[in-house]
Amino acid sequence: MAKPKLTTLSLCVALLFGAAACGPSLVLEDVDYSQPIESVIAPDDNLEVHDQRYAVKFNIGPIIEEEGVPAEEVRLIRNRAGYYFLTASGFNNVYVFESAESELKLETKIEIGELSQPAFNLRDGNIELVDLGTGETYTLTHEGLR
Amino acid sequence: MTSTISTLAALLFVASTTVVAQQSDHQVQQDFRADYQELVQKVDEASSSDEVASLVDEISELEAEYSGYADLLDQALYPDTFEQRIGDLQSRLSVTQDNIAVIEDLNERIAELEAEIEELRSQLSEMDEDSDALRERMERSAANERRLSGLVSQYRESLENRDAFVSELLDDLMRRYEAMDAETQSEIAEAAESLEDDPLALLETIISEYINLADRDAGLEAADFLRMRAQHGYFDTIWDKIGERMASAYAPDRPVQAEQEITDLLSAWEASVNNKLWGALSSAFNQNGIELPEFTSDDTFNNALNAFVDDAIAVAQEQNEEADYELYRSFSDYWNNTVKAQWGEHLIAGNVLSQSDIAAIDVKLGDWGQHAAPTSNLMFILFLISLAVIIGLIVLLVTKKN
Repeated sequence: MAKPKLTTLSLCVALLFGAAACGPSLVLEDVDYSQPIESVIAPDDNLEVHDQRYAVKFNIGPIIEEEGVPAEEVRLIRNRAGYYFLTASGFNNVYVFESAESELKLETKIEIGELSQPAFNLRDGNIELVDLGTGETYTLTHEGLR
Repeated sequence: MTSTISTLAALLFVASTTVVAQQSDHQVQQDFRADYQELVQKVDEASSSDEVASLVDEISELEAEYSGYADLLDQALYPDTFEQRIGDLQSRLSVTQDNIAVIEDLNERIAELEAEIEELRSQLSEMDEDSDALRERMERSAANERRLSGLVSQYRESLENRDAFVSELLDDLMRRYEAMDAETQSEIAEAAESLEDDPLALLETIISEYINLADRDAGLEAADFLRMRAQHGYFDTIWDKIGERMASAYAPDRPVQAEQEITDLLSAWEASVNNKLWGALSSAFNQNGIELPEFTSDDTFNNALNAFVDDAIAVAQEQNEEADYELYRSFSDYWNNTVKAQWGEHLIAGNVLSQSDIAAIDVKLGDWGQHAAPTSNLMFILFLISLAVIIGLIVLLVTKKN
């Protein structure tokens, strides 16, 4: 009695593994999403920014509302892990977004203080924030200031 | 002192590291794009070899300035690369350099052409001044026949020199423009816009002066006007061959009108010569006892010669008098020694008479000589003597037999 049960169980486990092997579980690792140079984009009248080179388009209305200052240009860069870093002149924060299906989800809001002339650089896979107005430099990760 | 220097060095180091830290990659690529674009514009607008030489340095400076950012720029300029952009600049500069070389070559040719025309104008002007001075001296010396004759010879010589000079110029134009290819023609047309003086204007000046010379008269004779006709004929022939090409090259905006202007001037020149030529020829024949019927053109001159000789032959056939033979000898001498020997070349070159017209008169002159020669009675007398001798011998034989 116990033998058929064991056989049935073994067959079930084998089927489970087989089904898992045939399903969409293929993972490509070590993907480098890094954007070598930041994109500097002017929002349109509807506060939409469209980075044609890296093919991403979104509305910055919620961020403008959050910062309480208008943005003539926003600066956008992506780190190796694929997080988007966004800021603009006059902003106090750098917004880090994670991309999801049809949305950018805020991962971290890094408070810096008022940025006069911010610029992002990609340095060794990390994001460097430079305020050209003050000469301050910061190294950022998707978790915050490093 | 040492500590001050150390402090300054430290400050300098901090300052330089701050500058490095403040760099924005985006700004670097923006600066490169702006510098590149500025250089592209400079290269496209360069118009001299000096500018090209300076741009070679500027491109090298741009390359040196940004070569440290080559990787960054390769990514920013994708699908182009930093190296490609520098190469593109150098290629553009090379094309500009070639274009400038063509333009400078063209400018050089324009300068040469202008200098050449200036030189020709100056020589012609000098010749015209000499001729004018001689003509004025002739007018002042009208009372002194011997002196006048000498001046006329000098004047004639100066005109002949001018003709020779113009003929040489025409030969030169012929060499240059008869076989001119389309490329050269378009190059000249491009250059012609910058020319202050051009060969068409020079030709117009030359023809206008020829018209003045013919209109002035100034003691010239039939031979001089025939030489003018010959010169006109040569000019006309050359213009027929190169006129269209020259007009297209030097007056690209109005080639037909430019060609027609010179053709019209040539016609005016011929008319001015003809105004004097027919009267001078008629006088020359008259002075040698040959009264030709009136003529006012090439054809009527030929008709007059033929009519004169035909009439003379008819009269000689009918009368066969000594006077006819004298007229024949007089005409024959003048025809052979003056008309053919001295004027023949100019008559043909000037299209006044053709070779066959002259040959036809020669044939008629032969007939005239035969008919005009006085007939001899010697044969008739010999016949009578022979007849008398024969009759005498017959009578003598008959008498002896009896």
